[in-house]
Parts: sequence; C-alpha cells; structure tokens
Amino acid sequence: MLPGPTRFAALPALWFAAGISANPAVAQNDQEPGFTTGLWTRGNLLGDAGGARSGLWNLGITFGLQDINEVWGNVSGGIHRGASYDGVTLLSIGLDTQRGFGWEGGTINVSAWNIRGRNIANDNLLNLQTPSGILAAPTTRLWEVWYQQSFLDGRLDLKLGQQSIDQEYMTSQGSGLFLNTMMGWPMLPSADLYAGGPAYPLSSLGVRLRAQPGGGFTALLGVFADNPPGGPFTDDGQLRGSTRWGGNFNLRTGALVVGEIQYALNQPGNGDLDYGAAGGLPGTYKLGFWYDSAPFPDQQFDNTGLSLANPASTGIALMRWNNFSIYGVADQMVWQPSEGSPRSVSLFARLMGAPGDRNLINFSVNAGITLKAPFQGRDDDTVGIGIGIARVSGGAAAFDRSVTFFSGFASPVRTTETFIEVTYQYTVAPWWQLQPDFQYVFNPGGGILNPNDPTQRVHSEAIFGLRNTITF
Amino acid sequence: MPRSFRTVSRPSTLALVLLTLAGAAQAAEPKGFLEGIRRHSLVTSTVPANGDQNPYAIFVAPVSAGKIQAGDVLIDNFNDRNNLQGLGSTIVSYTPGTRQLRLFAAIPRNLPQCPGGVGLTTAMTMLKSGWVIVGSLPSQDGTTKTKGQGCLIVLDAQGNVAGTIAGPNINGPWGNMAVIDNGATATLFVSNTGFDVGPPDDEPPVVNKATVLRLDLSIADGKPPVVTRQTVIASGFGEQADKDVFIIGPTGLALGKNGVLYVSDALGNRIAAIPDAATRTDSAGIGRDVTKDGLLKRPLAMTTAPDGHLLVTNGLNGQVVEIDPETGAQVYARWVDANKAQSPPGSGDLFGLAMTPAGDGFYYVEDEVNMLVLAH
Repeated sequence: MLPGPTRFAALPALWFAAGISANPAVAQNDQEPGFTTGLWTRGNLLGDAGGARSGLWNLGITFGLQDINEVWGNVSGGIHRGASYDGVTLLSIGLDTQRGFGWEGGTINVSAWNIRGRNIANDNLLNLQTPSGILAAPTTRLWEVWYQQSFLDGRLDLKLGQQSIDQEYMTSQGSGLFLNTMMGWPMLPSADLYAGGPAYPLSSLGVRLRAQPGGGFTALLGVFADNPPGGPFTDDGQLRGSTRWGGNFNLRTGALVVGEIQYALNQPGNGDLDYGAAGGLPGTYKLGFWYDSAPFPDQQFDNTGLSLANPASTGIALMRWNNFSIYGVADQMVWQPSEGSPRSVSLFARLMGAPGDRNLINFSVNAGITLKAPFQGRDDDTVGIGIGIARVSGGAAAFDRSVTFFSGFASPVRTTETFIEVTYQYTVAPWWQLQPDFQYVFNPGGGILNPNDPTQRVHSEAIFGLRNTITF
Repeated sequence: MPRSFRTVSRPSTLALVLLTLAGAAQAAEPKGFLEGIRRHSLVTSTVPANGDQNPYAIFVAPVSAGKIQAGDVLIDNFNDRNNLQGLGSTIVSYTPGTRQLRLFAAIPRNLPQCPGGVGLTTAMTMLKSGWVIVGSLPSQDGTTKTKGQGCLIVLDAQGNVAGTIAGPNINGPWGNMAVIDNGATATLFVSNTGFDVGPPDDEPPVVNKATVLRLDLSIADGKPPVVTRQTVIASGFGEQADKDVFIIGPTGLALGKNGVLYVSDALGNRIAAIPDAATRTDSAGIGRDVTKDGLLKRPLAMTTAPDGHLLVTNGLNGQVVEIDPETGAQVYARWVDANKAQSPPGSGDLFGLAMTPAGDGFYYVEDEVNMLVLAH
C-alpha cells in the first residue's frame, strides 16, 4: 500500500509557533498585537486597520489573516513536466480572557483555512517528500479550536480542544525556513500516522499539558485522537465526510500520546536575570516520542501470514497493535560576527525512527544550514540549503521483493528518497515575503515505477518554485 | 532565646542550627528590586484614535485633577500615524482600575511659542497642582534634518494648552524629567539634546553639547507655573542624530540621596552623578561616573526603586539594569522584552519607565508594538 502524496501535506510551523520562554516564571500568554509603525516596517499590511486592531486588542480580541500563494514547476524528471499554482489563506481569531472578561490566564483560539489550487506532487512528481508544506486537498475548513489555561504564573498551561500538533511538536526554527513538506511536519509521521496525524491541514481533539519549570526547559505531554478523518488507514483522505469542512470531531479511533522535552540554550526569556556573564550562541534541543494505540497494517504480510504479494493472499493486511516513534531536533547558531549583529549562521537537524514492519517510512532525517542577513542592508533575509532523506522501511521493501518473486517480473525495490533544497527568503517588508526555491529529488518515491512508462522508474526531479506570503 | 533552644544539650549543635538559620536568612535576602518581579503583563495599546505611535514618556499621576485620577498612567507619543518621528502630538491616559485608555490631550501640531512644531518626547511630568508639563522635540519629516528647537508645553488637567516654556536654554527637551514638587513651588530637571544636531547623514557626528537644565517653578493658585530661574547644572554630554531612533543623548534623570541627580548618558554608556543638583548655580560638566559599560547598553529612561537602586532601560537590548548608586555596582539586569524579532532581543523596543504608586512594580513601553507593559 502506497499512500498518495496528498497524505503528506504539512506546514512549517510558522504561524502559531508557541512562544517558548526560557524562563517560564513569567506569564507568556499575552499575544502582542502586530500593528505598529509605517507601511514598510510594520508586521501587518493593514497595520492598525483604522483603529480596529488596537480597539479589539483592548477587548482581548486578536485576529490574523495570512495569504500564501505559490507556483511550482518541474523542468526534469517526474511523470509529467509543467507548472501549477496553489495557495492558502489562514484566518485566526484569538481571545485573551483576562482582557476580555477578567478571567486570568485563558486564551481561546479559532482558525480556518481556505486551500486552493493544484497539487504538483500528485500531478507531476509522485515523490514522498512533496515540495511544499501547504499542498493539500482544496477545501475551506475549520482548523484549530482550543482553549488554553495557564497556571502558576505561566509555569504550567493546559490546552484543550481541536489541535494541530505540528504547531508545537517536532518544530525546528531552521527547518521552518524551507518550503518542502518534510521541513515542516516531518516525513515520518506524515507517512506513518493515520491521515498524516493531526497536523496541517487537519486537527483533532486532545489535551496538552506544558510545563516550563525554568532553566530553559520545557516539557510537553499530550493525548490526541489519532485519526482526524476517522477512516481506515487505506481510506483516510483529507476530504472524508465532515473532515472536508473541519467538522469531524472524531474520538472513536486510537489515542496518540506525544511527549517532548525541550532545552533552550543561551536564550533569554522575559524575566531572566543577567549577571553580566558572557553569553554563548543560542540553540534549541528537543527529544520526543509518540505512541499510537490503534492497529496499523503490516507492510508485508496479510492476516493469514502470507505475503500480501502472494496470489493466495487474502489481500487484508495483518494488523499490528500500536505504533511508536522517537525523535530528536537540534537548532544551533554557530556563527555571529558580533553580539547583536543581524548576520548569523545556524545549523539544524531532525532525526526520527519507527518500526519497519508496520510503517512505510522507518527513518527520516532533515538537516541544513541557514545564513541570516546574507547581504549588506538585507537584515531580514535568510538563505539556506537543506537536505531531506526518507528511508522506505524493510517491510515495504520486502513486499516489493515478494512482488518480483510471485509475479516473475522484475520489479523495483523501494529504498531511499533524498532531496536537496536551496531557498532564499526575501523580506520585502515584515508583512511580505517572497521566496524563490529550488529542489532536486533523487530517486522519487524511493524508486517507484513511472506509471506512464512502467519500464522506467520515476526519474530524479528538478523543481523550481516561488512563494509569496502576505500577512494582513 | 526560644525555650526549645535552651533544651538543646550540645552547644555545638545549637551553634550549628543558628548558623544555618542565619545562612538561610542571608541567602533569602534580595540583592535588589528586580528579582522580586514575577510577571510582565501587557496592559494596553497606547495608540489613540488619531493613530499616533511610538509611546515614549510614562508618568503616573500623583493626584486627581480634571480628566485625571491619581494613579492614572500618562503616556505620550513621539510619532504620528505615519510613524514619522517628532510629529506625535498626543497624550493618552490609562486608568488601571477600569482598564480604560482615553485621550488626555491632543496638542495642536503648531504652537506659536514652540519653534518647529510639536513632537512629544520622554520629558513629561504631572505636578501636584494638576499641571502637566511635556517636552517637544519636533520634526517635519521624521528626521533631525527638519528638527525644530522645541519647547516645554504646559497643559491644564483637562489637557488644554495653558502655556509654553521656551528660550535659549531649551533645545530638544528630551529625557524623562526628575521633579521636586512642593506644591506651590517645584523644581524640574530636563535634558536637552538638540543643540547643533544636524541631519542623520551616513555618519552623523557626536556633538558634546547636551545639557541638563534645572527649572525652578512658582505655581500660584489656579495659575500655570511660572519659571523663576533657569540653571544649566550639567553640560557637555554627547548627542547624535540617528536615522533609526531620531536622536541619541542623555535621557534618564532620577534624584537620589543628598541632592544628587543621576543622569543616563546614552552615548557615554554610563550613569553620571550631578551633586547638589537642586541648589548648585553652575554646571558640573558631565558629572562623576557612577557606573559605565558592563550591563549598560545605551541607557535610556531611569527611575528609582523603593530600595534606592536605580532602574534604567537599555536601548540596545530588552533589559532593565539595576544599579546601586551608592557603590556604583551593577546589581543585575532583567530581561523585560526578550523579543527575538530583534537582535539582540528587544533592541530598540524600550524607552520610558515609571514606578507604580505602590512601588511594587514598574510600567514600561514596548514601542515597537505600541504597548504599555506592567512588570509586577
């Protein structure tokens, strides 16, 4: 079973990346409004929107509107050549209950997507690590609906409701620059969880506890419904039933438990005291796991123990009870010419693994290097080069070998897909980014056959893209 | 001595217990004011209906008068709605009890007695008699290229202009005011950073002509304050045009013990002490170094904590630095704006600073987001 590329849509955690304070003794729940200063220096195109933002802010209400449009084209490889457009619009509304009606420490958040355009990964590429994290099935849907309550001056907070866990888990600041899906919500959970897990463009009901005891440490532990659309693994599309509009509050499937410990190195948080000791370069390190209690189909065997490629097979996969993964994320600035200089070089890496018998991908890694302020006078630009590797599991490869064995025809055995991405984020204004991007995918799909020419594998792909992001 | 201690049979154990208790008490002794702060709470947007931006001065009203209630926080804006510096002309007032922000004063952009227009600065105070006095360092284009000489504007408690104070000693009244307020008389201290400052070209020069001016005021019942004497008590501080922050010069003024006035010398990256500030008749030059460099990163507004320590905002990061003025020791600094959107975090965000009436916290502004914040 090879899921279609739309399963892998995920988003760099740019919009609601949780503010992780190195010192949680200070409440961090207040979301600063983004209106300020002149057209070319403020964070929002509309600024204060004629007093609306500041007026609403004083009532506790914040709203955000972000529009992303992009074009992608492959000039070589894939199953077709050509270009296509896709885009998304995100609307979010927040309510600070303290300013709203005097209830301290509460935050309500509701958001919704409009997703449109074509999916070049489905149409032209058939690769695993799709080129853009916003590629998803077109629709307009409710996304997150949650309430968060903080306790103990912000040291603890609890989040309840419909959540997209890519906003808080497995995030990497360096990786977030890049456009490939793998650089946002990673390859492994995208391929191995039901419908890619409760991550963009989906979400699911859950509860998440966050502790920030101080010293730069943060711990997250959450339990979520594991399967946003609620269907079987083989029929779990983003448009299934009421998932189409975000109204499927499914609780009938397995439980997904996700835990993560984060350590922020050399990063001041509000409230930290500085005694004048020399500070080092900032970094963030994360270790985490997920465990899913649901049954998962074996990649190789059917429910009678025969190979799924065996003509005598029932065709019904052996179900293995539960699934799990462990992962690590590292972000570290490694060079800055002087303290306070906008120019800096940072490295990042994310690695994760999962059992090979029940998962298509049993190991994935992405890593890269970014340079901020690459040119004089371009302080807010960032250029980066990254790599992503997705290894098709031994179980899936064994299935491929069995296909050759039972059919008598040589069939490729899927192995590893690798991509390289080069990107430049040009900040026209804080509310406007233009980002040209190039990706080269080696061994697309891990080495699958080209359905248009079954004597050939899908050839390596050279892909160009341009993303335009406006924050209103 | 407590009875239980008298029953301790071994004197060495008793000594040990006492020493431990003494040690614990010593460890719990706070080194300064800032470690007692627990929360930073966004209080209000400071943008009035006319769209003025860039909150600078903060002053907590000492009395109720006119539109103002005691404890209200007055905040002025240096920029207009187009974010041009030196064109802001409004003062807003925030009432903590009701959490209401109101416009206190909208000063006409042009006052005949105020050379160059109106752009409100960090120099602002409210006297016990109800008069509000605010500094103006105006511009026409948002830079010092079109800088005017400026003035001090006197407002009544309804926010109406009641008079101005201008003259050769006043040029770009800039830094937060220190004040000795006796009701019928008052003494104001204000820094001036406008003398001979030119446009913010590529490398504008540092001009060592900034002053601290003392104004002795007489306030008759129902009448605006009248200046009875002007004395330049400190001079020769660096001042410099800047394309990003308009002007850099001495900004923070705070009164200490024994008549000493402390001045944050932004370009000198130091805190200076001016002795006998209320009585001296001559200039003390740039004063005596209290402390220099270290945690200071372009010190701006300054105030005095209940323990007598100085608190000063940094212009080049998001810290408030605490200084023991008696010893010159920099106790520590506290991150109050660790916004990673700037490098270093919070750089360019902080400006004004004012203690709460209860002395249990302080107000500050994050001017990049036009917010008043309370640390408490």
